[in-house]
Amino acid sequence: MSPKLDVWQGTLALMVLKTLQTLGPLHGYGIARRIEQTSGDLLSVNYGTLYPALLKLEQEGSISSDWGVSDNNRKAKYYRLTRAGRKQLEREAQDWEQATAILARFLSARRESA
Amino acid sequence: MRSLRAWLLRFTNLFRRRANEADFSAELDSHLELHIADNLRAGMSPTEARRQALLRLGGIEPIKELHRERRGLPFFDSFFQDLRFALRMLRKSPGFTAVAVLTLALGIGANTAIFSAVYASLLRPLPFKDPGRLVSIMKRNPPRGWVRNANSAAELLAWRAGARAWEDVATWKQKSCVLTGGNPEELPCEGISGNLFSLLGVPALYGSNTFPASEDKSAAARFTILSHALWKQRFGADETIVGRVIRVNGSDVVVVGVMPAGFPHLYAAPYLDVPDLWVSGPGLTPQNTWNDYYAVGRLRPGSSLQQAQEEMDNASIALEQRIPEVSGWRAQLFPLRVLISGDTRLALLVLFGAATFVLLIACVNVANLLLSRGAARAGEFAVRTALGAAKARLVRQVLVENLLISFSAGGLGILLAVLGARGLAAVAPAYLLRSAPGLGAAVNPGILGFAILMALATTLLFGLVPAIHTASPRLVDAMKQVSRGASHSVHARRLRAVLVVSEIALALVLLAGAGLMTRTLAALVRVNFGFEPGHVLAVRVPLVGVRYSTSKAQSEFWRRLIASVEALPGVECASVSRGLPVGGWAGQSFATAENPHPPAGQVPDANYIVVGPDYFRVLHIPLRRGRAFDAHDTQAAPHVAIVNEELARSQWPGQDPLGKRLHPVEDFPWMTVVGVAANVLTQGPEGGAHPELYVPFEQYPFVIAPHDFVLRAVPGMDPANFARSVEEQVHRIDRDLPVSDVQTLDQAVAAERRDARMVMALLAGFAGLALLLSAVGIYSVLSFSVAQRTREIGMRIALGAQNRDILRLVVGSGLRLALLGISIGVAAALALTRLLSDFLFGVQPADPVTFVAVGATLGACSLLACYVPAHRAARLDPLVALRYE
Repeated sequence: MSPKLDVWQGTLALMVLKTLQTLGPLHGYGIARRIEQTSGDLLSVNYGTLYPALLKLEQEGSISSDWGVSDNNRKAKYYRLTRAGRKQLEREAQDWEQATAILARFLSARRESA
Repeated sequence: MRSLRAWLLRFTNLFRRRANEADFSAELDSHLELHIADNLRAGMSPTEARRQALLRLGGIEPIKELHRERRGLPFFDSFFQDLRFALRMLRKSPGFTAVAVLTLALGIGANTAIFSAVYASLLRPLPFKDPGRLVSIMKRNPPRGWVRNANSAAELLAWRAGARAWEDVATWKQKSCVLTGGNPEELPCEGISGNLFSLLGVPALYGSNTFPASEDKSAAARFTILSHALWKQRFGADETIVGRVIRVNGSDVVVVGVMPAGFPHLYAAPYLDVPDLWVSGPGLTPQNTWNDYYAVGRLRPGSSLQQAQEEMDNASIALEQRIPEVSGWRAQLFPLRVLISGDTRLALLVLFGAATFVLLIACVNVANLLLSRGAARAGEFAVRTALGAAKARLVRQVLVENLLISFSAGGLGILLAVLGARGLAAVAPAYLLRSAPGLGAAVNPGILGFAILMALATTLLFGLVPAIHTASPRLVDAMKQVSRGASHSVHARRLRAVLVVSEIALALVLLAGAGLMTRTLAALVRVNFGFEPGHVLAVRVPLVGVRYSTSKAQSEFWRRLIASVEALPGVECASVSRGLPVGGWAGQSFATAENPHPPAGQVPDANYIVVGPDYFRVLHIPLRRGRAFDAHDTQAAPHVAIVNEELARSQWPGQDPLGKRLHPVEDFPWMTVVGVAANVLTQGPEGGAHPELYVPFEQYPFVIAPHDFVLRAVPGMDPANFARSVEEQVHRIDRDLPVSDVQTLDQAVAAERRDARMVMALLAGFAGLALLLSAVGIYSVLSFSVAQRTREIGMRIALGAQNRDILRLVVGSGLRLALLGISIGVAAALALTRLLSDFLFGVQPADPVTFVAVGATLGACSLLACYVPAHRAARLDPLVALRYE
């Protein structure tokens, strides 16, 4: 896998975790839609990478899944945040905020006079 | 932690493939339905809603594949696929599978069995604390041809005090302990210094593992430590035995401890008796110069063997001033491991080499089989290559098939190895078993690991070349099915020829080794030891107890026993001695009247054999001159001796030895030589003749009782039949005397040949296996080539070739390979049989008789193997042959 994809997957995982924290248990399609909506439809989630990402999070124990029934009575697989996932979200959100803050400061720095 | 969990889950997913597939399909379905429902709500038509949802999702199969890769372990997935396929392929050709697995199993089994012996004898660490610092202490005197000699107490004490390199030195001497109070038993025992077991670092099971250091000087046994076996057998595993008093050699001895079960005798050379008990009182005094003592030392951390040697040599030089008798002797040090396995090392390595040859031949055979099979499967691989299979993938698949074969063979091989190791233990000489306890016991992880390694190595050896060869079909040729013609892969045919030639060469080397060992054994059986072991029975009867403290009482006992045994029908004559003419030599110094004060360091020595009157008659040792001992040679009579030819030659060259005088130590009376006996090979067939001095036991000046009772049965009578009646006669005179070591001298002599016998038996086994395998190899290659050339042969017959011509064609092509293999094998064997020279006796490593016989045998076998396919070819019906596909 190329390193570029890794970065993207890292953020995708964070978005998934945040979505599940905000909305509670949700199916794959719902998660994708929510991410797109939250981004103001600037992001388009690639479903081909969403499901393996969900699988990875589940294998690592951050989320768990169960078959359930949706609002309009359709069977769907619901993902929920586990305790480990909650901790991971906290940690990664903090890291991310720190990283963006540093980058923001960096980008906003003025040119120093010689 | 998290990734470990993920890996575990991915691994378990390998086994739930179907459920996972269904689950993810359902999830994607539900995803689509939810999306379609959304699109409908947004006002799309049902068709459009579905189309948009599908478009947005993208290719379903690629998504599934991505998911699958994340779900399981892709590498293993395809591996399992290969494995399943391989199983199917092997099951489809059970004949091939069986032959391949069995052939390799024989090779792996032979190797693993020998490896188990190598492991037990050479690799397993000695079961002592920090065994790397343990050193065996012996002494040597090279100018006089003595090495690995036992030490004297005087030297050991001087070395221990004089060398800082030693943390401690422990000492023991061999003794014999007669236990009375209950059934009398004579048992091998050791008189040890109190620190022996603490130096080795082996604690006692009960009680203490040491004696008080003050006992080391004493010559009286006051304390004892029992072996686990003796404690169990004689004392019923009594846990309260510590502190009890038992009778040993007629005195009271206190039991201070019991050693644990399986405490091995690995501090001593394997030719020494394994003791049943240890007693205190080795008699370590600075004046004691008897060379009775063995020793093991523990080096200080950081000290070297060389340092110890230098310091001990200085101590020896200082000691020579005080005790001239030890002049010229220097310590000889061996790491303990070298002493223990020294004698077996070469034998085991030679056998290991032979077993490796068998394995190589097995690999060559299987490689051949695989090549033939590969040719038959050329079509299959061509189709798969045409469909886009990568070459690496095909090689891998063939390798997985081969791996399956070798691991099945490995499993079977381990079974064979267990049986083989037991067989090995049955033919191994006693010293090998002693130096390698656990030989023939259950498989251990080391041996298991070795077998697995063998399986993997064989896969590479027999599998890689055929795999690459098979997996790179010439696409166009294979698809066109021209493989039936003579044009079929010249390359493959040449490869097979090379393989057959090499296996014949390997087989020849093994056969040559086995042939040489067979000749050695034959020569050993023919060797004249200087006495006639046939019809002689030897029984050990030690005269113990106060009752026999005088030679008079001893001779009284022997006179009665000899008389009563000679009265038995079938007994020709009987006598007694100390020491049998096999299995060793105990030197003791003497001086002659011509040279009464030899300078220190040049005192001659001889093997003293203390005998009863009829000894020479019982053993058929010819007397060259003078007379034998008789009933008049008592303590009161003038002291007499009989010397052997070697002693006479070395002391009185060119003179008449009769009437010459000699004595053991200055204080003892002169003995007059009354006879000259023929030389006896007491040190085994290779040992040559050494000076021997026979003394009538009643006149022997030291308190040493003869204990080897010997009788000669009349011709036609098995001497072993008298074992029971001798015991009865002994007990009729004294019921407290133990009787042990009952053996015919034939058995004793045969025991001397056991290592030659073991090497021969195993080499012969391996060579037989090699012969069989290489015959099968030639047979299969020729059969295959006949099958391949069916059309060509049919054509020849149609064009008028006779049966004879076809026979000659096929047999000729087989024999050419055989002859080439035999020539290469002879060259290799000439180089390699030199390694055997230590085991050979009466035959040269390049013995022409052996080489001719071996070459002829292999040639005859090859001819036989060629004949069957040739015969088949000659009887081909040309009509059928020409239509043959």
